[in-house]
Amino acid sequence: MRRVSFDYHEPTSVREAVELGARFGRDGRFLAGGTDLLVQIRRGQLGPRHLLSLHRVPGLDAIEIDGTIRLGALVTHRQLERTLGFRGALEALIEGAQVVGGHQIRNVATVGGNVVNASPAADVVPVLLALDAAVTLQSSEGERSLPLDAFASAPGVTACRPGELLTHASFPRLPAQSATAFLKAGRRRAMEISLVCVAVRVTLDASRERCLEARIALGAVAPTTLRAHAAERSLQGRPLSDEVLAEAGRAAAAESQPISDVRASAPYRALLVATLVPRALARCRERIQEAA
Amino acid sequence: MARTTLSLSINGECHELSVEPSRTLLEVLRTDLGLTGTKENCLDAECGVCTVLLDGVAVNACVLLAVRCRERSIVTIEGLAAGGELHPLQRAFIDHGAVQCGYCIPGMILAAKAYLDEDPSPSEDAVREALAGNLCRCTGYQKIAEAVLSAARAAR
Repeated sequence: MRRVSFDYHEPTSVREAVELGARFGRDGRFLAGGTDLLVQIRRGQLGPRHLLSLHRVPGLDAIEIDGTIRLGALVTHRQLERTLGFRGALEALIEGAQVVGGHQIRNVATVGGNVVNASPAADVVPVLLALDAAVTLQSSEGERSLPLDAFASAPGVTACRPGELLTHASFPRLPAQSATAFLKAGRRRAMEISLVCVAVRVTLDASRERCLEARIALGAVAPTTLRAHAAERSLQGRPLSDEVLAEAGRAAAAESQPISDVRASAPYRALLVATLVPRALARCRERIQEAA
Repeated sequence: MARTTLSLSINGECHELSVEPSRTLLEVLRTDLGLTGTKENCLDAECGVCTVLLDGVAVNACVLLAVRCRERSIVTIEGLAAGGELHPLQRAFIDHGAVQCGYCIPGMILAAKAYLDEDPSPSEDAVREALAGNLCRCTGYQKIAEAVLSAARAAR
């Protein structure tokens, strides 16, 4: 590592962690898996004077799936991939987690880190958006909860205040006749930053004919991951024919604001959105039929 | 910056060290302990040449602070040939000509070991996926995958 230096702390409870967080304010930074944070520090993009490692705080690596689903901030991508309880309706969590980095990264990189890092190309964050997730933030002053949709405002910029610790993300159990799907486009199949990623959730009515509710979340097509609200509304109350899904894809492409960069051009990214959104929705449609 | 005393278990041996908290496990292995079998390259957790096993799990040592390895067990490539006898994976890499320039191989072998330890009968696709975090710029992937599959078969 380049000549960087910081003091290092290992709090052993959330309370101790947020007290240290309050003491150091902007000079402190919580360390989860470190796969992004330590790279940013080495490159000089971040220079915290105090690193507060969370790995000795008990409970932050827990996944709770009874009732409301709760993912502790230190849950790794590998844990998500292997959670049998996500098989079925929550498949997108597995699909999103298993395309991140290689095994070495997924063994270490956390859900909390992925959310707080606020990369517009994060893979698991769109899945959480499609699940209407909220994040819980703890500080020495108390606890607050925010919709994930309102958490990130720009690359790396979030509603997290100095010293505030994201302890977990949570989302409600899905209603019956629901499915999720995640698709990612990259130039290669592994170790790749998404050109575009898409996470969707569909809930059909009891007769499985019409869409009761849909969520469409996109990655790598705007300064933050985002929901395609107009595309979601276009599905509501309608039978999910291929034409209706294609329409939602076009609406989502219109809502995205992609840039051209070394990885892909903006028009190509918009095209990917228009293609992947209907494909992911169709996958949900199949999954709901198969589960019935 | 305050140094921390640290005891690390590496390849079954306990090492007492005094390190700055910003030191990565990779730096400590290579510089302080002379264990240069663990390679250094991208430092961005992209290429996998610094792969070591932490409590049996493959991790990139370039983005792991040494202080976080307290009370954990680390295995590097030097720890694989117990008593001078090559590990079956090492043997298979040699037998299959899977080593070209060699720089990626310690990481490849450790990533493969971590994977075979949990899935002793993998498909070729699964092996390739398990090694996706290890880049070989000689592009010798085919023979590497064959070597791993053959080591898996031999162990059954």
